[in-house]
Amino acid sequence: MKNQWTEFLYGRVTVKVSGKGIERFLNVLTRNGLHIWHVKRHGTETITFKMRLRDAKNIRHYARKSECSISFLRRSGMPFLIKRLFKNSGFLLGAGMFLLILLFLSNVIWGIEINGAKPETEYQIRKELDKMGVKVGKVQFLVDNVEGIQRRLTNNIGELTWVGVELKGTTFHLQVVEKNEPKKPELLSPQNLIAKKKAIIVNMFVETGQAVVEKNDHVEAGQLLVAGEFGPEGKTELVAAKGKVWGETWYKSHVVLPIVTNFKVYNGKEKQKYSILLGKLEVPVWGFGKPEFKKYETEKDVRKIHFLKWDLPISYINKTVREREEFTRTYTNKEAEQMALELAEKEIKSHLNEDAIIKDEKILQKVIKNGKVILDIHFKIIENIAVGQPISKETQE
Amino acid sequence: MAKKWGQRVRNWMAEKMDLPQDVMMDLPRITMIGQIHVYVENHRGLLAFTDKELRLLLKQGQLLIKGQSFVIKTILPEEILLEGKIDQVIYINDNPGGTK
Repeated sequence: MKNQWTEFLYGRVTVKVSGKGIERFLNVLTRNGLHIWHVKRHGTETITFKMRLRDAKNIRHYARKSECSISFLRRSGMPFLIKRLFKNSGFLLGAGMFLLILLFLSNVIWGIEINGAKPETEYQIRKELDKMGVKVGKVQFLVDNVEGIQRRLTNNIGELTWVGVELKGTTFHLQVVEKNEPKKPELLSPQNLIAKKKAIIVNMFVETGQAVVEKNDHVEAGQLLVAGEFGPEGKTELVAAKGKVWGETWYKSHVVLPIVTNFKVYNGKEKQKYSILLGKLEVPVWGFGKPEFKKYETEKDVRKIHFLKWDLPISYINKTVREREEFTRTYTNKEAEQMALELAEKEIKSHLNEDAIIKDEKILQKVIKNGKVILDIHFKIIENIAVGQPISKETQE
Repeated sequence: MAKKWGQRVRNWMAEKMDLPQDVMMDLPRITMIGQIHVYVENHRGLLAFTDKELRLLLKQGQLLIKGQSFVIKTILPEEILLEGKIDQVIYINDNPGGTK
């Protein structure tokens, strides 16, 4: 017995043979290697049998030599099924559409979940996401990628310390850590306030403790400003001295700024290229040809395409080719001086507390040589010079 | 006479060497499964087929199978599988008294 499945795959036909000498005809067929089966007699002069589709083409040749007439009754098997499938192509189309729609919907954002945020912050995050285009119903690979969203959120929302963005299936999960202003620890241990550096006292606000110095006093670094120990001799009281002592301090800053600087900048011209990555084969979809830029950099954004919960070996690639330009900035001497000054200010401020103020600045020396501006600047700054120093038992006694 | 000698040699060999008779002597091998299947190997062609009767040509003589609602499940040049309700399997000899 031959396997019926192979016959099904290649297709089979039911043949009706009528006439005289049917048996002889069957012998001829079998001896010529035509495989026939399921031979049945209907009446005296008719039989039906099944045979392969590819043998059916040859049967006429043998039938002509015999006295039988043949006709084909039924066709079954894969070739005919496929034919019928194409005839009723609506089904095929429907199945295809179903898969396509499922594929499309698998790549759409269906939810944004925010955890760990206060309602106000959550609202802000949602607003920011909206601005970015991250909304329910958008296609995933047309919005910014996860790192980009994370960066923008942390940059644009001040309340956030950190936000972790994760794409799980069709949902964005945002794990938020908010900035909690830490409460200043209560200083319970007795302390004095001493000067952090040499200064002239401009103003004082003493909350607790006894001021030892006065306005316009000159103090050295380490000098006692506010004592945490006061009271009559023998009955001294120990407290944690608290307060702010504003002193004028001096800083010297040395700045070197080249007059001519070369920059590499993007000039805003860019070209988008889209392609689809199938396994390792990259098929460009839009944006052909080499960019006509002389110098450029390429940024590549690869997104996996999902199907339900699986990642397909298909990716969507968006390449951004940006033109790069070399840009030379030349300052006049005056501009250079101005810029150097600003630079120095910025540098000084980065060392100081936020509440420090630059009161005055004086250029001590200005040299322009070798295409560089060299400035020595003297800053007068008003800042809080008080720092706590604990009073230990030993010093007290 | 020569043919008869050949036959005898074959017969002898089959007996002495323990070979199956059907291979050595070109005899049909008929396998029946109950009443429903007959499998005939080594036939020489179909002579007549109706739903009540099947006549096969053998090397020597004919084989007649009688029964009801016959369907040939498979037919190959030397094999045939018949399905139906088999009543009788009859050998018909052309020349009675010839070789066995």
